Amino acid sequence: MEESKDLSEEINKKIEDIQLKVLSGEISLLDFELVPIFENIKNTLSISNINKSSMAFKNGFRLLVQKFEELKILINSLDKRDSFLHYLKSNPDDSEIYQLFNDCWVKPFSIESLSLNFLNYSNEKLSKERGIPITIDHLDIIKVKQNFLLEVPKLKFTEKIMNFYNIIKNKFPCSFDEIFENEQDQVEIYEKFVYLLHLLQLNKIKYEKNTNTLYI
Amino acid sequence: MNEFTILVHILSKKTDNFEIGATKEEIIKILNYQGKNESVYIQNLIIHLSNYLEPLGLQIRFNPLSSRWYIAFEMATSDLIYANPFEGKPRLAATLFCVLICCLKNTGIGKIHDIEKLRKKKRVIDDLKELRNRGYIDIDDKLGQVRLTPLIGYQLDLNKLLIKLTLKLNKQR
Repeated sequence: MEESKDLSEEINKKIEDIQLKVLSGEISLLDFELVPIFENIKNTLSISNINKSSMAFKNGFRLLVQKFEELKILINSLDKRDSFLHYLKSNPDDSEIYQLFNDCWVKPFSIESLSLNFLNYSNEKLSKERGIPITIDHLDIIKVKQNFLLEVPKLKFTEKIMNFYNIIKNKFPCSFDEIFENEQDQVEIYEKFVYLLHLLQLNKIKYEKNTNTLYI
Repeated sequence: MNEFTILVHILSKKTDNFEIGATKEEIIKILNYQGKNESVYIQNLIIHLSNYLEPLGLQIRFNPLSSRWYIAFEMATSDLIYANPFEGKPRLAATLFCVLICCLKNTGIGKIHDIEKLRKKKRVIDDLKELRNRGYIDIDDKLGQVRLTPLIGYQLDLNKLLIKLTLKLNKQR
């Protein structure tokens, strides 16, 4: 309660300071927010400090009336549009006018993706009733007598390459196209092309880029 | 979904290059309000929505040039995230100021000749073209006049500008 009493005194002192600053022309009431003062008075009000709080309220209200008066004068002067022309006749430089725009810019809030369709879609998705969660049934492990082995190719990779080489070696010199001209199956063409690349790397076959020719 | 969901949508919706938000009549129509005292209803809705948006750094504003309500970032946030569109170009800002004075004095339309006189420059057409390219004005070459688009009403707090100017003039006296 003692604390509240001190606060109401503080508010009174603050109001006095503001009045002094306004009278000295240091601040304008139009630039000053009075709402927090009234909020503070409301928050610190108690039976014990009712007199001081009433005084604070009375002084605060006096400031508010004064602010209204200033606002009235301002609104009246706003009507005098000629005064703006008068300002321009005082030859303000461009940078002075530029400064006038400061703090007056507003950034509109516009998000294209924030559409009603999207909100509807999200609403439908989020409010959809979920089914019973899927349960995973583990398979029974059964012992079997047979052995499972991975399928192993009949020939080694190098043997496959050499078989391919023996088939095509009589065609050289020739182009890539001629090597595969009789092939229809894309998988086989790919497989044989891989062999060809290996043969080129092993220098069993050579390639002349300018004439697009393979030779031994 | 409630009124606020729809309001957020329509007040942040860009209808074309220069228009954002909705007029009072459009809000009433979209919300299908059929009761009495529609102005009070709209005012209450906007106040309540504004209270919800405030912690997000947003506020509801009114564009006096197009009579539309729209959502904007609050001024302090706007200052942080939105640089002055005329940064480094005080010449353009000064020309825009003269355009504003001319147009607001003559119900939205200003003569190019009057703007030149206010600017005390023989040629302002290049500045005007740049302002047009930025979407702030339309130029009628035949009639030699310019018209403000609603865009400047969204991006510039005209009331605040006029109050600042009046306070400046009062100080000068």
